[in-house]
Amino acid sequence: MAAPHQLSPSHTWVDTHGDYLYTMALYRVRDEEIAQDLVQETFMAALNARKNFKGQATEKTWLTSILKHKILDWLRKKYRESVVLRVPADQENPVDWFDRKGQWKNGPTPWSDNPEQLLEQKSFLNMVLQCLETLPKKQARVLSLRTLDNESTEHICKVMNITPTNCWVILHRARSLMRKCIQARWPGKGEQHDESLDI
Amino acid sequence: MNHWIFRCKDVSALISRSMDTRLPLTRRLGIRFHLMMCHFCREYKRQLRLMSLAMEKMDVSLSQDTPAQGRLTPLPEAAKARIKRRIENFR
Repeated sequence: MAAPHQLSPSHTWVDTHGDYLYTMALYRVRDEEIAQDLVQETFMAALNARKNFKGQATEKTWLTSILKHKILDWLRKKYRESVVLRVPADQENPVDWFDRKGQWKNGPTPWSDNPEQLLEQKSFLNMVLQCLETLPKKQARVLSLRTLDNESTEHICKVMNITPTNCWVILHRARSLMRKCIQARWPGKGEQHDESLDI
Repeated sequence: MNHWIFRCKDVSALISRSMDTRLPLTRRLGIRFHLMMCHFCREYKRQLRLMSLAMEKMDVSLSQDTPAQGRLTPLPEAAKARIKRRIENFR
């Protein structure tokens, strides 16, 4: 067994983990002020709980899991009061890349012959993140819970106060929009090629 | 070309849904049948899977970054100072 992890002095936490936790929070809540508040709450909760730190995880992992709880709490509060909005049937699929018969107008073109290699490339991961940022807030929040944190749809429904069907529709839209965004930025494929992605 | 029962539009939604819940057997077979004949939907499924895998890796990938690498959004200095004060004053 590896030696248990130790906590560093609390005055070093902000410099060591502040940017990382802030970035994590930003992708998930999509609001700068809220994200800052959540990072602060995370450190305060960590101070309160540090005596219970058993060293099974690294300091960073431990702080991240506290942050994720804070994010879920915030989402739960935010959406608790909100009226459950029905998704209008005519907006089931806002994406107009299907013709009237429901067939692709411009179908997906392959990204790579070697998907595993693609996943090792930071430029691909960065493109995915940049496209996540372009999603409407609610879609981004639901997709982040589902995919970044691997929460079940049942749990997401409770947190976001939506029905399972609603959840699936939101996820479907979010994924199609993200895919479209990546396709558009794909080097040599899309018309809106962004030079800054080539770094 | 009519891909049996399901249209591409429906299949794209079902591909997404199958990533979140277990679909009934008839739907799964219908999708599989459609995918055998439709390279666009096959590619769509592949790309959705790639996106998911990339996002699952995000936490780990970013946790190895330093701010100098430019992928982390820096916590604004004012917020850093405020939080440091709070930590210092914690009793």
